[in-house]
Amino acid sequence: MKAKSKWLAIFLVLGLVLAACGDGGGAEETTTTEGGAVDTTEQPTDTTEAMTSTTGGEAMDIATDVGVDLEAGTITVGLLSDLSGVFSALVQVIVTGHEAYWENVNANGGIGGLEVQLNAVDTVYDPATHVQRYEELKDEVVAFGHSTGSPHTVAINEQLQTDGILAIPLTWYSGWTDPAINANLLHHGVPYCIEAMNLIGYIQEQNPDIATVAIASNPGDYGLDSAEGAKIAAAEAGLEVVYDGAGLINAADEATLTEVANGIANSGADVAFVTTSPGAFGSIFGQALAAGYQGIWSGANPSFNPALVGPDSQIAEPLAASSYWSAYTSVWTSDTPGVTEAKELVADRLPQPTSAVFEGFVEASIMHAALQAAYDAGDLTQAGVLNAAKSLDNVDFNGLGPSEAYVGEANDQLQRTSLIFQPDPEGLASGESAGETVLEAEYTSDIAENYVFNEACYALEG
Amino acid sequence: MRGRPLMHTRYQADQALMNTGTKKTLLVVFLLFLTLVPLAVVPGFRFLAQGDWLRLLSEVAIFAIGALGLNILTGLAGQVSLGHAFFMAVGAYTAAWLGAPAGPFFGLGLPIWIWLPAAGIVAALVGVAVGPTAIRVRGLYLAFVTLGLVFVGEYVFRNWTALTGGSQAGRTFPPLEVKLWREEEPLIDFFTPGSWFGVELSAQAKTYYFLAALAILFVVLAKNLQRTKVGRAFQSIRDRDIAAEIMGVNEFRYKLTAFGISSFYAGVAGALFAVFTSRVIPEQWNLLLSVEFIAIILIGGAGVVSGTILGSVFVVILPRLVENFTNWLAGVAQQETGLLAGFADLFVSTGPGNFGFVNTQAGVAPGLSTAQLNQVLFGLLIIGFLIFEPLGLYGIWLRIRNYWKGWPFTY
Repeated sequence: MKAKSKWLAIFLVLGLVLAACGDGGGAEETTTTEGGAVDTTEQPTDTTEAMTSTTGGEAMDIATDVGVDLEAGTITVGLLSDLSGVFSALVQVIVTGHEAYWENVNANGGIGGLEVQLNAVDTVYDPATHVQRYEELKDEVVAFGHSTGSPHTVAINEQLQTDGILAIPLTWYSGWTDPAINANLLHHGVPYCIEAMNLIGYIQEQNPDIATVAIASNPGDYGLDSAEGAKIAAAEAGLEVVYDGAGLINAADEATLTEVANGIANSGADVAFVTTSPGAFGSIFGQALAAGYQGIWSGANPSFNPALVGPDSQIAEPLAASSYWSAYTSVWTSDTPGVTEAKELVADRLPQPTSAVFEGFVEASIMHAALQAAYDAGDLTQAGVLNAAKSLDNVDFNGLGPSEAYVGEANDQLQRTSLIFQPDPEGLASGESAGETVLEAEYTSDIAENYVFNEACYALEG
Repeated sequence: MRGRPLMHTRYQADQALMNTGTKKTLLVVFLLFLTLVPLAVVPGFRFLAQGDWLRLLSEVAIFAIGALGLNILTGLAGQVSLGHAFFMAVGAYTAAWLGAPAGPFFGLGLPIWIWLPAAGIVAALVGVAVGPTAIRVRGLYLAFVTLGLVFVGEYVFRNWTALTGGSQAGRTFPPLEVKLWREEEPLIDFFTPGSWFGVELSAQAKTYYFLAALAILFVVLAKNLQRTKVGRAFQSIRDRDIAAEIMGVNEFRYKLTAFGISSFYAGVAGALFAVFTSRVIPEQWNLLLSVEFIAIILIGGAGVVSGTILGSVFVVILPRLVENFTNWLAGVAQQETGLLAGFADLFVSTGPGNFGFVNTQAGVAPGLSTAQLNQVLFGLLIIGFLIFEPLGLYGIWLRIRNYWKGWPFTY
């Protein structure tokens, strides 16, 4: 009897468990259907089918596979964003830019009547999470509107090529222009390496007397790509590198910041080119200043943050007076049609003016051009969007940033135009600017102009 | 003996891995379930056959291997270690050195049957090498010594660019494939879809099968270890080291052995994790990773193999469930009817100005992001389990089992 009742109990429990799980599973299936996912055990290409739709009032033949629902009239674009990791403050603003952009596009007819929806997920700036998130989204989205982080994007690069999906890297690594790795990626904005050439070229133009430069940077693609560009620029400009701290800065380790600050101060270089995070830059700047350093400062764009010249910053005045920076897109005070329109669209979405929001507009504009071209070609499959994107010969941002091209030689595709600015503490305090005074809206130094690009300045492969 | 499963008349039967019929049945059901999952034929669990879920399950397998190692050291031998991430890194970079194709970084391009065992062996050797320092101290002090390992390791890995690719850049790891030697075409690869025994499988499904099989192998090894002389020695040291020594258990030797075995598991898990992720930056092997493993064995139940597996499932899958739950609640909140909607609206914040404890739009809406909520939850769960259920999930299972054993009587 006892044994029997035990078995009965076990079956009852198993039955209950199965019933409970059955509900959960059912719900899951429903949600995935809503998300427009296909059965993932099949390959996306197998599910490609031509559908006839009457969206927008006219009949059309559009091939679709993943992320496009002609019945519901939606296109889903994925965003692999760092929403709560180390770059979250920046990336959140960029995502806001995407949202504002697409809301406007959707309100004005979308892509041939199809509404574009965003699916932004948090990668926490961790490569393992990035890969997992990619796996979750790849059967729901037609392409990736951005992919945050260079090692992170390299981690999914092979998979992108296997799956035939397009992604826009949200980093300015020079390798994204390198045909050896960018089969499924679209570069945009001037890469760190060329940016350094522009900045050093500009500083020399303004101060012909300079003779020496001190270089220091973070490790990884960001710091080393930038430091490499600075070294090339120094050699071309005839500047002597009197301190080389490339890859030495570790923002989490105060000792490295002191070491770099002392190194710069002791070198007495005319120009200090430092590429790191804003917090680390502020610390290095302050310490070098205290040690009596009086040179000109510069570095890759995210080394500077307007908060460094905010009202409560003690280094605001000396920093504003002695530093030059560049931007990958236009800034808040840029007077172009694109910027004016974008500012209106984000007016009540941002607590304060932030130029990073334009990066979201630029990325979204590239995706828009790719989707429109794919739509016009009648192929909104993942592969169709990739093909369309890779044949874009001119993407214009209406003054939000320098235009891009994705056909031809890598050397011709390379973006060489920067916006050069100086910090603007007064404008930031009054809310008139986002902390930038534009010196040159579109600047290309001779060094950058003449640089022959064959491969990434700093190799991230291997 | 059918009605009296706990009555054993032979020592062998008492020590059997599966000493009751129920366990045998459950095991068969469980293995069958694991086999059928990628085929999407288990009612109610079809969603697990999706690529992203299979990846999560594969990660569970990798974490289970690593956690089994920590369980041997901490759960079985009673030595608290925070250095697990370091040993995983040693395994991962051994695998990279031996297995990755030659390029800008060290790589010999050797096949998996060399780099995978080597990852474990090198990590074990390192474990044995640092062991004598570590096992001179106990408890909290041991935790600090092993904590030091994580930081020393992180420094070395960040700066040894030729091996690790360098800070914030990282390197690629060997592909998951089986080769005899360095030939071009692998015998089996786990990164392209293909047909096995006439069944079409996705790349994720193939990877899942491979990792699940490895995890099962390591479970069997760990389970067996418990009932050997070594395993009993570990437990006697855990329960009272002085008493163990008086009984003739060589404390030094067995603690060293525990370190070695644990590091072997960690090394293999680290190598698999790196290969599975395909690109890992040196900062990955940090204290947080060690803590995740501590969470697994505390939540699952220290010293119990099945508890460790439960813990791995829990810790790896929980973040996904929390996120799905949050999104579902956000959906409920937007319908704005009923009691649940009111609660959901209080709990979830869906946009700026909408108050809530957790948000669906990190940074834009107030509240915690789901990633942050998960970290809070792990912390609360570790504390909660330590206070209320020291045996972990296994303890809960034990109580459910005992309830049904005596059913309908309370005991």
